[in-house]
Amino acid sequence: MIFNSWDYYLLFLIPAAICFRLAGPRVRPWIVFASGSLFFAYFSYTQFGGWVGVACLGIFLWECFVSRFYRVRSWICWLGIAQTVLFLAIFKYRNFLSGLVWPNAAENPLFWKHAFLPLGISFFTFEFIHYAADRYNDRTEQGTVGEYLAFILFFPTMVAGPIKRYQDFLPKLRAVSREWVVDWQRGVTRILSGLVKKFAVADVLTAYTNHLNWADISHAERHILPLWLLAYGIKIYADFSAYSDIAIGSARLFGIRVPENFDWPYLRTNIAEFWRHWHMSLTSWLIDYIYIPLGGSRVENGRVYANILVTMLVSGIWHGAGMNFIVWGLLHGAMLVVRRAWRQFRPLGAEPASQVTLFFSWLLTFVCVNLAWAFFCMDVKTALFFFRRLIIG
Amino acid sequence: MEWITGAFDYLGGARDEAPPGFPLTLGNWAFWALWWAALTVVIYVFSGQSSKFIYIDF
Repeated sequence: MIFNSWDYYLLFLIPAAICFRLAGPRVRPWIVFASGSLFFAYFSYTQFGGWVGVACLGIFLWECFVSRFYRVRSWICWLGIAQTVLFLAIFKYRNFLSGLVWPNAAENPLFWKHAFLPLGISFFTFEFIHYAADRYNDRTEQGTVGEYLAFILFFPTMVAGPIKRYQDFLPKLRAVSREWVVDWQRGVTRILSGLVKKFAVADVLTAYTNHLNWADISHAERHILPLWLLAYGIKIYADFSAYSDIAIGSARLFGIRVPENFDWPYLRTNIAEFWRHWHMSLTSWLIDYIYIPLGGSRVENGRVYANILVTMLVSGIWHGAGMNFIVWGLLHGAMLVVRRAWRQFRPLGAEPASQVTLFFSWLLTFVCVNLAWAFFCMDVKTALFFFRRLIIG
Repeated sequence: MEWITGAFDYLGGARDEAPPGFPLTLGNWAFWALWWAALTVVIYVFSGQSSKFIYIDF
């Protein structure tokens, strides 16, 4: 409970945004740093691991220190990326990975009984990696210490994105929008819209999605099962896009525009378009830092398909430490591969597609995406049981 | 469809410019005040439940 709490708005967002706007250009990054640090400490203490969670603020400070040594083509950039991946591995994947070797937690010497996730770790680590990679490739300037701390501790996007790019953020930090009225009007409207999506759509559907467990699936009427899964598909979109609305609206109060994350993904007529409009900041990150370095689409077909699968495997793993997320990622990878192969077999013609074709393309995309959610919200065994009940009864 | 999604984006604060032919502008403060009030009422009516955002645990 962060974006849907009074503390967020009254203790952090409104005071910080006002101070930021009123401050001079040299002080502004430090206001973001201070408010972001307090935000991280406060919500880490109250919701994510107590004082140990608060101590994870040290990760940001250490990252800032190391980042000062990033140079073009320097091995230190690779060190920075490696240490970030290590942070992620230790906090997020330690129990899952060691559990593959020792399934019984009691016999697992590496099992971390009190494991917790530092607030926003999956997102801020991706921003760390982006900065290190782009410094290595001379795609971004270093900026000052204050500017980099402001980038990584900008609290509206700290918890769950959108995943920012330093070279986009820096100009906006340096030359803040002077259009107070428009920014606050749009920002407040965006925040209110996000809260409506969260409370009136996502949370209401929880009553149905809570039934996606083995016991309820085994007793449910068969025709109810797809409705529960559809409810989950709508809920996750409403929930995550609501979060993004609030994050983007909050940033707008500072006069800072951050990337959009969703653009009506469920209206898209093929799986590639879906991913270009769902969690867009993650998709572009995966393309820039996984897909393209692997060779992207500039290699022979077999390797392109492998690159797609690896990229979506990383996406799945990033979403969670569990086999179900790996399956979910690979399912989407397979759908993207099939789509690419189909387009190579039957390229788009000069004439636009008919309305009937578009409708069935949309329907196929919508159904496939929503069926795949089964592996996102249930473990593999339960998801397979769900499909068995759905198909066989 | 583009006009409809554009209108929703504009009403939701995701766009600064209204789609062509949209009757309301950002300067129409009476409308926006009512719109904000309506959104706030909906939030109040549905806010009894407490839940985390799904991606917070990611």
